[in-house]
Amino acid sequence: MDLTEEQIHRYSRQIVLKEVGGIGQKKLLNSTVTVIGLGALGSPVAYYLTAAGIGNIRIVDFDTVEISNLHRQILHFTDDINKKKTKSASRKLQLLNPDCNIEIIEEMILPDNVKEIVKDSDFVIEGSDNFPTKMLINDACVSLKIPFSIAGVLRFHGQIMTVVPEKKTTCYRCLFGDVGDSPSGMSCSQAGVIGLVPGILGCMEANEAIKTILGIGELLTNKILFVDLKTNNFTFIDVYRAEDCLACGENAIDLVKTYDYGVENVCH
Amino acid sequence: MSLENDVLDVKKLDIRGKVCPMTFIYTKLRLEEMKKDEILEVTLDFPAALESIPDSCKRQDLAETIEIKEFDGNKNTWLLILRKI
Repeated sequence: MDLTEEQIHRYSRQIVLKEVGGIGQKKLLNSTVTVIGLGALGSPVAYYLTAAGIGNIRIVDFDTVEISNLHRQILHFTDDINKKKTKSASRKLQLLNPDCNIEIIEEMILPDNVKEIVKDSDFVIEGSDNFPTKMLINDACVSLKIPFSIAGVLRFHGQIMTVVPEKKTTCYRCLFGDVGDSPSGMSCSQAGVIGLVPGILGCMEANEAIKTILGIGELLTNKILFVDLKTNNFTFIDVYRAEDCLACGENAIDLVKTYDYGVENVCH
Repeated sequence: MSLENDVLDVKKLDIRGKVCPMTFIYTKLRLEEMKKDEILEVTLDFPAALESIPDSCKRQDLAETIEIKEFDGNKNTWLLILRKI
């Protein structure tokens, strides 16, 4: 596949980079990234991946746009209120870059469908708003050996890590264990969030996807980055695999089939 | 391609009318398709590219500059000869 004249111009500012070139651009155009959640994290992710020319972008969300989403979910506009987020997002993404095939999945992520949704992805972006879904995506991606980035935000804070199952890096379950053991955290709706915090974390997730596809740089693996944008503190903490992790450890099992995530009962 | 070009393995690229950074980008895309030690003759008429293409090619370990000369006696057009690294 040769790049068209239009593609050479559209992607010129990244083709010019040593790390990309025409070879890297073709890798991006031939790749598939699944973006789970089209909210505050998923919006900048989907936007930048589309702009970068990721050839196939699978966008997953079951929700509709509400007015209270708009201060942070930058793919959605005021006239999108009450529309499905997938429809709202795909309209903008198609306008941004007709090169990209935007595949819409208008479903809630559940144990029954998660593997079908993420399969064949070169990278998965986790941008959901709740802990059980994050854990479900972790378990499915670890099981299918798909690299993914997982992030969370609250108030002025954010955290992000990347997992590369093929390289046996620390997974989300290694850190947080059983969903049942974890403290029930507050969601953005209760605790609040400054809109640009997920913007920054989402951009970092998209960057992890691009670096993975290009095979360049360093990833946020075996470490977790905590960002405090009130104080501008960026803290990297090394994290380690749990030998007894049920998702990636020595005696791992297919959790997606058996584990009670309680995804259906989450307050969004 | 002439017999002489076959022997010297010379590839050609005409980027007359192009300006920076597209001058380098077209050169880079062509070089990426070439094998080590193959020669690329770039015909160009944007003077700044006589510096920027060799600089960028060197920085990105793409090619070394062999020669820069006027093209066919035309004072506003040049031949930039590069060897793929």
